[in-house]
Amino acid sequence: MYSICRLYSAGLLIYALVALAGLAAHFRKTRAAWVATSLCCASTAAAALELCASVGALIAGEEFNWSLPSGLPFVHYGVRLDPLSAFFNLALSILAGCVAVYSIGYLRHGSAARRPGLFCFFFNLHLLALTLVFTASNIIFFLVAWELMVVASYFLVVTDHESSESRKGGLLYMLMSRGGTGMMYIGFLLLATAAGSMEFQALHGSGQTLSPVLGASAFLLLFFGFGVKAGIIPLHIWLPAAHPVAPSNVSALMSGIVIKTGIYGMARVFFDFYGVLPVWAGMLVLVAGVVSALLGVLYALMEHDLKRLLAYHSIENIGIILMGFGSALLFRSFGHPQLASLALVAGLFHTLNHGVFKCLLFLGAGSVLQGAGTRNMEEMGGLIRRMPWTAFFFLIGAIAISGLPPLNGFVSEWFTYQALLAGFGATPELTRVAFPIAGALLALTAALAAACFVKAFGITFLALPRSGNAERAIESPLSMKTGMASLALVCVLLGLGATWFVSIFAPITQRAFGVQITQQLVAGNSLLLTAGSVHNGSVSPLMLAIALIGLGAVPLVLWLALGRKSPRVTGPTWDCGLPGLTAANEYTATAFSKPLRMIFAALFRPRREIQAEFDISPYYPKVIHFESEIQPTFETRFYDPLLAGIMAIAARMRKIQTGSIHAYLAYIFVTLILLLLFGVRV
Amino acid sequence: MIGQALSIVFHVAFVLMLAPLVTGFNRTLKARVQTRRGPGLLQPYRDLYKLLRKGMVIPDTASWIFTATPFVLFVSTLLASLLIPTISANAPLSMYGGVLAVVYLLALGRFFLALGGLDTGSSFGGLGSSREMTISAIAEPALMLAVFTVAIGAGSTNLSIVAQSALGQSWRFLAPSQMLAFAALFIVLIAETGRIPVDNPATHLELTMIHEAMILEYSGPYLALIEWAAALKQLVLMTILVNVFFPFGLSPDWSPGAVLFSLALFILKLLMLAIVVVVVEVSNAKMRLFRVPELLAIAFVLGALALVSTFLFQG
Amino acid sequence: MHFWQDSQFGNRMITLMAAIVLVLQIMMVTQRWLITNIRAFALQSFLLACIATTIAYYNNAPHIYAAAVFMLLVKAILLPVVFERLVTKIEIRQEIEPLINAPISVIVTGLLTLLAYVVAEYFHRPDEPMGPASLGHNTLAVAIALFLIGFFMMVNRRKALTQVLALLSLENGIFLAAISLTYGMPMIVEVGIFFDVLVAGMVLAILVYRIRETFDSMDVSRLSRLKG
Repeated sequence: MYSICRLYSAGLLIYALVALAGLAAHFRKTRAAWVATSLCCASTAAAALELCASVGALIAGEEFNWSLPSGLPFVHYGVRLDPLSAFFNLALSILAGCVAVYSIGYLRHGSAARRPGLFCFFFNLHLLALTLVFTASNIIFFLVAWELMVVASYFLVVTDHESSESRKGGLLYMLMSRGGTGMMYIGFLLLATAAGSMEFQALHGSGQTLSPVLGASAFLLLFFGFGVKAGIIPLHIWLPAAHPVAPSNVSALMSGIVIKTGIYGMARVFFDFYGVLPVWAGMLVLVAGVVSALLGVLYALMEHDLKRLLAYHSIENIGIILMGFGSALLFRSFGHPQLASLALVAGLFHTLNHGVFKCLLFLGAGSVLQGAGTRNMEEMGGLIRRMPWTAFFFLIGAIAISGLPPLNGFVSEWFTYQALLAGFGATPELTRVAFPIAGALLALTAALAAACFVKAFGITFLALPRSGNAERAIESPLSMKTGMASLALVCVLLGLGATWFVSIFAPITQRAFGVQITQQLVAGNSLLLTAGSVHNGSVSPLMLAIALIGLGAVPLVLWLALGRKSPRVTGPTWDCGLPGLTAANEYTATAFSKPLRMIFAALFRPRREIQAEFDISPYYPKVIHFESEIQPTFETRFYDPLLAGIMAIAARMRKIQTGSIHAYLAYIFVTLILLLLFGVRV
Repeated sequence: MIGQALSIVFHVAFVLMLAPLVTGFNRTLKARVQTRRGPGLLQPYRDLYKLLRKGMVIPDTASWIFTATPFVLFVSTLLASLLIPTISANAPLSMYGGVLAVVYLLALGRFFLALGGLDTGSSFGGLGSSREMTISAIAEPALMLAVFTVAIGAGSTNLSIVAQSALGQSWRFLAPSQMLAFAALFIVLIAETGRIPVDNPATHLELTMIHEAMILEYSGPYLALIEWAAALKQLVLMTILVNVFFPFGLSPDWSPGAVLFSLALFILKLLMLAIVVVVVEVSNAKMRLFRVPELLAIAFVLGALALVSTFLFQG
Repeated sequence: MHFWQDSQFGNRMITLMAAIVLVLQIMMVTQRWLITNIRAFALQSFLLACIATTIAYYNNAPHIYAAAVFMLLVKAILLPVVFERLVTKIEIRQEIEPLINAPISVIVTGLLTLLAYVVAEYFHRPDEPMGPASLGHNTLAVAIALFLIGFFMMVNRRKALTQVLALLSLENGIFLAAISLTYGMPMIVEVGIFFDVLVAGMVLAILVYRIRETFDSMDVSRLSRLKG
């Protein structure tokens, strides 16, 4: 207990000190490379300390409570490392460490390099705030940390504040966050009145004590409030606007862990503050998950901006996580704690996995951006030759996010499938049809994700370079490669070692549902992952990997026996007899996703325009101008009318804004009197 | 331990040898139905042997992905076949991954194949990759629904357990859920193996090909591995269809007598399914690419009906 | 006793055939070729005749045999032949152009099937003993689904002939419900209905011919021109 507390506090302290040092460096106008390097190294050390503290807390499986010295009256900076907090803190510290290492090299170029001190200040402040968000033990402290996190991440997003795109993205992020936080405030207050306390410990199960209507409203407010942060559809629009414009190490952290604060909040509310919820609640979460997953990946497919594509994939994966959470809620409603813990493990495991591979992919995109100087995939190509390591790590991330065996994405998607499958037998009601349908749509999502990453990897890294920038691309420095390599390694380890890793969820499910999952989910000498029991289905990523390598003997033997002497020559790709294959002959990202754009035309409402100029015959055009775009349905159908409505109301409100200070004072006075009367009457 | 190793070796050898035969049977039968003579049953073996010994040309635009693809595709498809009850109801590695692992191992191979297609830089490769990924993506929900129906019926995703539970109930295949799931899976088989209404394995006409476009630049031993993997994939899907839905005669263990009997019966069932595939192939014209989603939507509906019918017919 | 004499086996066969009947109905919703549609309808009627025969066999009920024969003659053979001739005779375009496109129709169909299940659940008696007398009771949901989907098809189609087909498949649903729940209506009602259907089919066929003669089209929305 004592050592865990110490490790944790030491980590926090280093974050704070590094932030201050960064600020000092900024004001002393120190721009030397060693500043950023040493500060990033210190952040890595802090992350390592946090990692140790979280692992320690998880292994102990207990709850650790203590207070940070606050120095302020009435404010209680209570910190709690219970298994759920420790798990999210673990995810945070893994990512933070890797991103900090990556940043050493990344801060040498780009917009952040001009103010490395300031960047380090906000970066570490952000990490500090994130740690506190995951570990705060009362509502007030949680909200303070939350606001600190939003502010810090806003400044990180607008690091490149000279570009208007960046400012716009940052503003949208800030506005949406405000809205979400507002909903959270009300929801938390409702819960706190029921419990009569602001302490998280006292809030345990307090959702049950509220009246059904209030309980439901608090649930909805908190779900949508945290949903804004998590980026569920239709509250997602800030995500593809803000993530791409931030520096890539920040985008990695945002997509990897910042949106997971929303997931953390939901997990805390669903499985700690509420007991058994009515069926509609679980159904809502499940449907929100399915919709977010499917639409997220469909929009991702249409993107050819590499970072926006990744941002849309975050929405997709949040959807997959929510499918797990939704099923867990439903199972708890149906009275199946065993299944509920299976589904919860699926959701939480995918939270960590998505953090790791999305972080890796964003770091890869950052390297590409720095190496080739563009985010537009149509200008890339052939980078695998110029940036072999980045390409390799990106490929690992792509395989993991597509849910392909034997990496970590496969394992958590497997758990999700198993949970959804088990759902069919969990209730005799008609609602059970929702589970397999959700499973089928999850399959569609995963397959579309694979298609999308074939596109992302294939167009970016393979074949011939499509622009001069791509031809001149350079590989990233060692520190950036190290950051990516460690995340790639984590992807592999979480996949192959999943059987050993799942036991980390045991204390979490123990607290949420009182179920010990380790015996339930692991079998066969820790080689098999099972869905409840070996009979229900089992998988072993490790054995699959070994078998894949072992079966490599078959082609090897064939080659030794038959093909050893055959010559192997290099020649040009078939160019249909035209002189030489150029990059113009290659398939583009837009062309790659065209079949899907046609199939889902009802959703995308694509518009295209082709203008050809020709001399003699229309069959021999000189110049072709092609333009294609899809309709941003949510912006035009949902947010534009909403905005128009708000503007109309605001215009009316103007009337009471006279500009006279007396009038304003009078408003305050009247409000005060009304409040007094209200207070007396109650 | 030794017994298991032997069973793996036997299984691997068996599926590797059988896969080209099924392809050969398909081609010959199709030719006969169209009153051609056809290439003969053993032609795929001769093709593979020749390709494996030939030299190859690697496009100068290609990277290591191009080289890795045939191996990943071949190995992952082979591993998928080891998870399915083929000779005995007790597949050698079925413990280590059920039907979900089979689906995702095939997806792993496809992922690399599509990358290999893009790696050459030719427009054909890109065209093939794009279409392959599209069709496989929209086939996936139907496939999963069918798989779910079967798994829910048996209470397990482990294909060996599914086959064993099917063995226990003699008339189970007559249940509407089984028949509908079978029909859904059959359409998926047609789409995934690139048979005629969806893709034409015999054409090299630029505008219509899918699978052939992706592998246009492959030659020699690499092409052999890819062709072999395609045959294996077809065998894997067909085996699921015959052995999970109609498991009669499947030996519950690895005793020699029972294995021989179940082998003979398995090949018989496989040939019957192949005949059905050929009949579908010769009696249909190839669809436009954008009509394929409609076919797969039908498969999806069949899968959904299969699932619903488990309680639609109560009592 | 042979295995086919066990009413369990009969139950399986009926369930299976009813499932295929439902699939055919959904196929008719999505199919775009008129001839295929007519053939699907013929096959559907044939399967219904088979279901009726099965029920008759296990219950030794001769009047159901009669119903099955009527079904076979009228709806599986006579009407399809007449319709096919009509199609070739008036050389209409072979493609059906529904008002709502195929994917959405499929979703609607799915929802209607679920609705049918919910309605059928009302009549479900789980404590009923298994035996020849309860044969086919589990197909009520399918019968209701046939009825609803048939109705939906009538709404969704433009051309008179396809609407007639939809009406007939709707009637198939009623037949299945009657045969599976009550072992058929009294003989005389049965015969009456069949003649009704036959005459209706014939009259409609002639009407279609006339509409086409007058308007050069079978699109019933053109009939709105008839109003004053």
